[in-house]
Amino acid sequence: MGPIFTLALKDLRLLWRDKFGLFWVALFPLLMALFFGSIFSGGGSRAGNMKIALVDQVRTDQSARLAGKLAAKEVLAVSPMSFDSARALVQKGKLAAYVLLKPHADSSESFNPFAMPPIEIGVDPSRKAEAGYLQGMVTEAWFSLVQERMSDPAETKQWVNQGQDALLTDTTLPPDQRAVISRLLGSLGDYVSMTDSSGTASASPFGSAAISVVEIAVESSGPRSPFEITFPQALAWALLGCTLSFAVSIVTERQRGTYLRLRLAPLTRAHILAGKGLACFITCVGVSSVLLLIGMLIFDVRLVSPLGMLLALVAGGICYVGLMMLISVIGRTEQAVSGAGWAIMLVMAMTGGSMVPLMFMPSWMLSLSNFSVVKWAIYAFEGAIWREFTLTQMMLPVGILIGIGVTAYAVGVSILVRTDR
Amino acid sequence: MDEARVMITASHLHKRFGALTAVDDISFDIRRGETFGLLGPNGAGKTTTISMLAGILAPDQGSVRIDGSQNPMQAQTRLKIGNAPQALALYEDLSASENLFFFGRLYRLSGARLSERVAWALDLAGLTERRRDAVRTFSGGMKRRLNLACAVIHNPPLLLLDEPTVGVDPQSRNLLFERIESLKRDGCTILYTTHYMEEAQRLCDRVAIVDHGRLLALDTVDNLIARHGGKSVIEAELERLPDRPADLPGDLRDHRLRVETDCPLQDVAKLADSGLRFLTLHVHRADLETVFLNLTGRRLRD
Repeated sequence: MGPIFTLALKDLRLLWRDKFGLFWVALFPLLMALFFGSIFSGGGSRAGNMKIALVDQVRTDQSARLAGKLAAKEVLAVSPMSFDSARALVQKGKLAAYVLLKPHADSSESFNPFAMPPIEIGVDPSRKAEAGYLQGMVTEAWFSLVQERMSDPAETKQWVNQGQDALLTDTTLPPDQRAVISRLLGSLGDYVSMTDSSGTASASPFGSAAISVVEIAVESSGPRSPFEITFPQALAWALLGCTLSFAVSIVTERQRGTYLRLRLAPLTRAHILAGKGLACFITCVGVSSVLLLIGMLIFDVRLVSPLGMLLALVAGGICYVGLMMLISVIGRTEQAVSGAGWAIMLVMAMTGGSMVPLMFMPSWMLSLSNFSVVKWAIYAFEGAIWREFTLTQMMLPVGILIGIGVTAYAVGVSILVRTDR
Repeated sequence: MDEARVMITASHLHKRFGALTAVDDISFDIRRGETFGLLGPNGAGKTTTISMLAGILAPDQGSVRIDGSQNPMQAQTRLKIGNAPQALALYEDLSASENLFFFGRLYRLSGARLSERVAWALDLAGLTERRRDAVRTFSGGMKRRLNLACAVIHNPPLLLLDEPTVGVDPQSRNLLFERIESLKRDGCTILYTTHYMEEAQRLCDRVAIVDHGRLLALDTVDNLIARHGGKSVIEAELERLPDRPADLPGDLRDHRLRVETDCPLQDVAKLADSGLRFLTLHVHRADLETVFLNLTGRRLRD
């Protein structure tokens, strides 16, 4: 075992000194996990707000309250301004839309407690989705305002009195309409006075929606956070980086003559390849473990099955050592091996769930992913992290990984031996 | 030859790569303590021959015997061989001493003995001051010296040097020659392949001339020159013509005399004794380049 450890130590030292290689092996997978984890967890939500202008031409207490309700919405970034400025900014594409609150054109509407004031939404014709979304937001804000008004008897009484006063001075309404509105306001005033004298002043004369939020923990298994999806992917990327790094190192040694020098030493070819394999295995398991530890300590990634994870790491290491051996003999130059290696691995990563998480894959893609080694590695890691695999369930991905690894290693070695002659 | 005195026996070696015959029936013995040169142009089959001797390539026919062992791939045999490949077989991101420690460990050295050998090898390569520097920062000559040092870290009785001075400046080349001569003085048997005839002439006790995979001639440098080099030539410009120019040996044109001879020094002495005065005098001795030219009709570096 002495020469094998000596060879492995040399390779680990060389990897440590190759900062660029180390980036692909360790840092790149971590960045992938953090980047996609942050995106899926909705980090930086304010960045996605719809920017709109609010133009208040009514300037009443009600319109100010409506503007306040729109501004309070998280999904909107509201800037009050004049109509001309708002229109100009929308035209230049600096704002998604403007919301213009206009005075009632018809005086009869001012006596209707449910009538929304005239509102104009200015938006580019191509942004129909935003226009519809904004329309919904404004409507929701208005009805929320009406509900608040009707929930307070004192405010309702005040509004009824104001309406009755306005009705007395109004000369524009036809007599029959005036009579109907007068009766409505009178009945509403009587009802509010009745609820007020019965000691239920704080209660709404029209009732109010009683909505409460109750927190219920989810009992079914599944990822608790996006990082529980992205960290298994990161582990797969790390294995991929290790594989390619060591595959290229084999062809580098063959090209530069150090492999020949090793062949001239009192070693068998098996020693040399075992040394390379051991270094690759240690790096695979080591980097994966460090990434997993970062996920657990900083990003609250669970480890529901430590033994399962150990099995997954060992099987993943064996599998990718085998792939390393196979990829190292697909070309005779560093460029050929590196290029072909990345091409093969990227296809496997794409179909295997390193880019699109397995749980989001359509069924046809999930079937296709069965042919990718990356899928089985991620599946094994997820099994230990959140899929809560039993050891028996773990045997499927672990067995497939080991099987592929051993086969690939055997094929790779046989090709290497043939080309050595 | 007495088997105890022989370090390497190559017997009827053949090697083909597809349609190309790289080595065609080459046989030779190398004695213990001898520096043996394989001289030939690029592509002559030198590296293929050395690879078969080291057990890297299996000959299609023929056999190799190294220090009594018929299998150069055996670990015990490998321990007796130091090999400096033509390519700079070094780890460029490791330092000089890390390379030496690594190869030393592979040759089963450890502890104080390993440290001692590394210090010795660094001194041999003239790299003690630069031992902690990464090899990638070294000049071509320094890398060549370290390449040699890695080959002898385990103090092997047999050293295979494949074109050890390729791409080296004259100063480093001289330093390499001195180191190889020092190893030779210490009793190391050396097989030296080169296409530089000056190197073979300076370092080798015997030289085998190979071309197109075939061994053309094998002997000491002097014998090869004597047998295949042709006569030496004396060229002299005379101060004045003698009274009887017809008595002079060789060709005389104007004041220039040209004499072909087997004994150039004796003939120069005779001419001087006859009272001739020389304005210029040149003696052109045959060398291995001439030998190769006469044997193949080509120059070594064609």
